[in-house]
Amino acid sequence: MTREITTIIVTGAGGVGKTTISAALATRLAGPDRRTVVMTVDPARRLADALDLHSLGNEPSPVPGVTGLWASTLDASASWEGVVHRYSDPDVAERLLKNNYFRAIADRFPAAQSFAAAETMAMMIESGNWDAIVVDTPPSAGGLDFFLAPSQTAELIGGKLLRWLTGSQLPGRRFLYRFTGRPILMIADAVLGGPLLEDVAEFLLDLRTMYDQLAARAVTIKRHQQRATTLVATTADPAPVAEVLRFFEELTDVSIEPAAVILNRALPLDWTVASRQPIRGIPDAELRAVLKANLVRWGGEARRQTTSMEGIADRYGVPLITVPWVADSPTTVGGLERLLAGVEGLDELTAKS
Amino acid sequence: MIERRLLIVSGKGGVGKSAVSAALGVLAARRGKRVLVLAMIQPSGLAAHLGVDSLSYEPTRIQPGLFAAAIDRSHALEEYLGLQLRVPRSLPMRQFSGALSVLADTAPGIREIVTMGKPIFEVLRGEWDLVIADAPPLGQLQSYLSAPETITGLVPTGAVREQASRLESTLSDPLVSGLLLVTTPEELAVVETREAIAEIDASRQILIAGVVANRVLDPLGVSAEAIAAVPDSPARAAGLLHTGLVESQSFWLDSIPDDPRLPFLFGFHTPAEVSARLAEICESFA
Repeated sequence: MTREITTIIVTGAGGVGKTTISAALATRLAGPDRRTVVMTVDPARRLADALDLHSLGNEPSPVPGVTGLWASTLDASASWEGVVHRYSDPDVAERLLKNNYFRAIADRFPAAQSFAAAETMAMMIESGNWDAIVVDTPPSAGGLDFFLAPSQTAELIGGKLLRWLTGSQLPGRRFLYRFTGRPILMIADAVLGGPLLEDVAEFLLDLRTMYDQLAARAVTIKRHQQRATTLVATTADPAPVAEVLRFFEELTDVSIEPAAVILNRALPLDWTVASRQPIRGIPDAELRAVLKANLVRWGGEARRQTTSMEGIADRYGVPLITVPWVADSPTTVGGLERLLAGVEGLDELTAKS
Repeated sequence: MIERRLLIVSGKGGVGKSAVSAALGVLAARRGKRVLVLAMIQPSGLAAHLGVDSLSYEPTRIQPGLFAAAIDRSHALEEYLGLQLRVPRSLPMRQFSGALSVLADTAPGIREIVTMGKPIFEVLRGEWDLVIADAPPLGQLQSYLSAPETITGLVPTGAVREQASRLESTLSDPLVSGLLLVTTPEELAVVETREAIAEIDASRQILIAGVVANRVLDPLGVSAEAIAAVPDSPARAAGLLHTGLVESQSFWLDSIPDDPRLPFLFGFHTPAEVSARLAEICESFA
């Protein structure tokens, strides 16, 4: 299969509108000649309604009203179940999926959801079903988890945990028995009140059987990620901007080069200048005064936005794409289309593969 | 809101938890209380909102009566083992905490109980009039609040279980502990807040002491139609954005309890300025 696939990854802090932007980009890309899928993470209910996202299990469903657009929601437990079935022996898989710790890990490791998202993206790319894939990423401090998770997960499963627990380099089942007989664990169990550590070690040994396959998989996923177009979404608020800066500082670890920063909820630059000038064309003095005072406040916000974004664009030499602040987040596919209608600089990105 | 011994502050990520935690700390200290504000997870905006570069595990004095600290897991684990579980000194502590830190990454509830143990330990120590915990975001809060229960379900006997029951009873005592939920008047934040309220009310793990809406815009006092009728200009566009946002905010505000509301702060630039201003505003209701 030599078809060119456009893959777009939208990363950034939580609450900046990643999911909405992903959905809007996908709506823009989709067409009769471009089968497009958007994988969302935890969409707001009204957005999910607009995309008709009601099925679970990672399976994309067609979006009503947009030709060529499908959407799915990340189901991390389903992804992990798939991973276990694909990369471990049937009897081990059965044991793992029944294990309480496995559930806990799949739900709670910070990297677990990101790994599920990255694996789901890879499966979509490899399926040959799609011309364009837009991937919303799970919230993570700094936004790097999506890129780091595959190798971190392999490493973890490969025995980092087990090595710590046993102090042994290559623990096998034989080691486990020696290990559980150690005095430290007998005391630990007395304090903790149960055979907790032993249970955990048993479980980790099972998990470890997937190591070779997962390590190889991590390399493939990374290649997919490097070929994709990565966009970093943010608002001009201090907290998400700090996360964008951290993301760029740590980027060298993952050899990813973002194609653009998307500033969501952007205010027009000319409000700053206009707020210093007299307002014309409003005869009603009271209305004029109210709108003037309001423009002064919002003009100040526009200036604050410019200041907080300047650093990023200059320092990292990355284009800035601004998406205007709209009073209500889009809740229809029409609204998604309108959100990006006047936005400049997108075509170059979405054409690239 | 600040009359109890422990106030846990949570909300969806990005709604201003740290700003509100810092503001209430400033306010309580101003009223003569001895206050500790604790950042429960990293990264946290708490240091910036208190006007300092960073926080350490040992409480730092911010201003008279106001102290702040940040929980880091390895310190918390050591303290948990030594002071809360009273693990005998004779144990090879390094090896033991190594094994437990693996467990903390694997077994449900351990990491949470170690973190949750810290603010409660500080309350029980009796050194503070008030401990404010800048808690994990709503998505993770439930696993922290239910950690004591998870542990008592998992471990039949022993020191871990005893400590967990102590946490459980301190958290659920409405005279001692309260939870403050911070939200913004937007769909995702409000929906998550409502779900959390229902879940926590049903579980009775902790009393919900209040729901604070942050970044609420004041109406302009003129109608959207009047603004729409003026010639196209930045003044018109800014007016329409403002009235549109007010309308959308009031829709979402209607579906949460009618508790105190904090205004959108125009013209406040640094995090420390924001929390100082919020402290003044909270003066009227907290």
